[in-house]
Amino acid sequence: MQKTVLVVEDEYLIAMDLQLLLEARGWRVIGPVGTVQEALQLLEGELPTVALLDVNLGTELVTPVAEALKASGVPFAVASAYDQPERYGGDVLAGAPNAGKPTNERRVLATLEQLTSFR
Amino acid sequence: MEDLYRLLRTGHVQAQGIVDTISDPLLVLDASLVVQSASRSFFETFNVDRYETIGQPIYELGNGQWDIPDLRRLLEEVIPKAAAIINYEVEHDFPGIGRRTMLVTARTLYHPDKGSHTMLLAFVDATDRRRRDVAKDMLFGELRHRMRNLLSVAQSMARQTTTEGRSAEEYRDDFLGRFAALVEAEDLAFTEQGEIGVQELFDRIFAPFAAGPEAIVIEPGPPVELSPRTIMSLSLVLHELATNAAKHGALSVPGGRIRVSWQVEDANRKLRLNWAEIDGPPVTAPLTAGYGTKLIQSAIAYTLQGRVEHEYAPGGFQAEIVIPLGTASALS
Repeated sequence: MQKTVLVVEDEYLIAMDLQLLLEARGWRVIGPVGTVQEALQLLEGELPTVALLDVNLGTELVTPVAEALKASGVPFAVASAYDQPERYGGDVLAGAPNAGKPTNERRVLATLEQLTSFR
Repeated sequence: MEDLYRLLRTGHVQAQGIVDTISDPLLVLDASLVVQSASRSFFETFNVDRYETIGQPIYELGNGQWDIPDLRRLLEEVIPKAAAIINYEVEHDFPGIGRRTMLVTARTLYHPDKGSHTMLLAFVDATDRRRRDVAKDMLFGELRHRMRNLLSVAQSMARQTTTEGRSAEEYRDDFLGRFAALVEAEDLAFTEQGEIGVQELFDRIFAPFAAGPEAIVIEPGPPVELSPRTIMSLSLVLHELATNAAKHGALSVPGGRIRVSWQVEDANRKLRLNWAEIDGPPVTAPLTAGYGTKLIQSAIAYTLQGRVEHEYAPGGFQAEIVIPLGTASALS
């Protein structure tokens, strides 16, 4: 079955970048979306294999999405420009691998692969 | 005898003088941890009085406020094993002055004649310094975050600027045009807020495009304070609109003009921008939307949660952009 990844990123240019990069490597992208509300709606419809989250969504934090993923047992990584995303987004992000920003293609793919292999 | 007493007295006065010149709080304790002397700044810093301090065991000072586990460990376990301790950190809630981080420096002085010893304890109140350090770390964190985000956007623009059917020069110019808009946005977004507004944003982004003063007419509008992310997305959008006008629209022919205006609506919660090209060549909708057009649509709808309507009207291309102002508010 095709692996799916939920992408939450509020900056359109970066979201597009992630989408194109992941689709080129065989992932099916759910989203991308830039708000907590849209992300939670998508999760109601379909649970992805993994998720890739920006931490600071401009006017809100991604924290409720991370909590919903955790409750559903979906592993997630962050793609954040913060060194310690949990200092901003709360404890639910502690321990989540950070694929970093700006996007390094190899690092993003390796991070997501690592998440799927833990399942 | 008389002379010796005088000498000792003088010595004591001198010693007290030395103790008082030290700007940090200082305690002199005897071997049984009773306060022999204290500097003036000790009394000032801890808001205590000389008489309730001198001659008291340290743990009993000020109703036991110095009976601190960390300090006990220092005095009873660490100091006896070392000649000097530098900046031992003690954090404690002092009833008179609140929660403080103190750095304690201690030194034991042995008296060769009496075989006893005296302990010097100097305190540096590092509370404010710690707070400043934390604030500085936060600021550096924010700066790095901003820088990386900016690099991310630049990286995405470089990757998404069309390469198909373009020469390297064309690609470079397209990319650098977008990059310049990003640079302007960054510059504007973090100048003193309140001073900048839509007018200045327009002026800066349109500067490379306006061949003459009549080419792009900006109608004065109300002052609006824009958030950094709104400024960034809007700058990129305005750059794409102007680029399209220069390539295919009103700015591609002499005499063509663009009229731009803005209003705030819904009790300052929405910003409406109007873009109207006039006296340009006849326009028709392109068969497929280029990257620039997609960028306009998505930066507004996706990033700013607003909407764009555009029309390839016979008289010239027109667009209307409405974005919520969100956290940034109109200036009253």
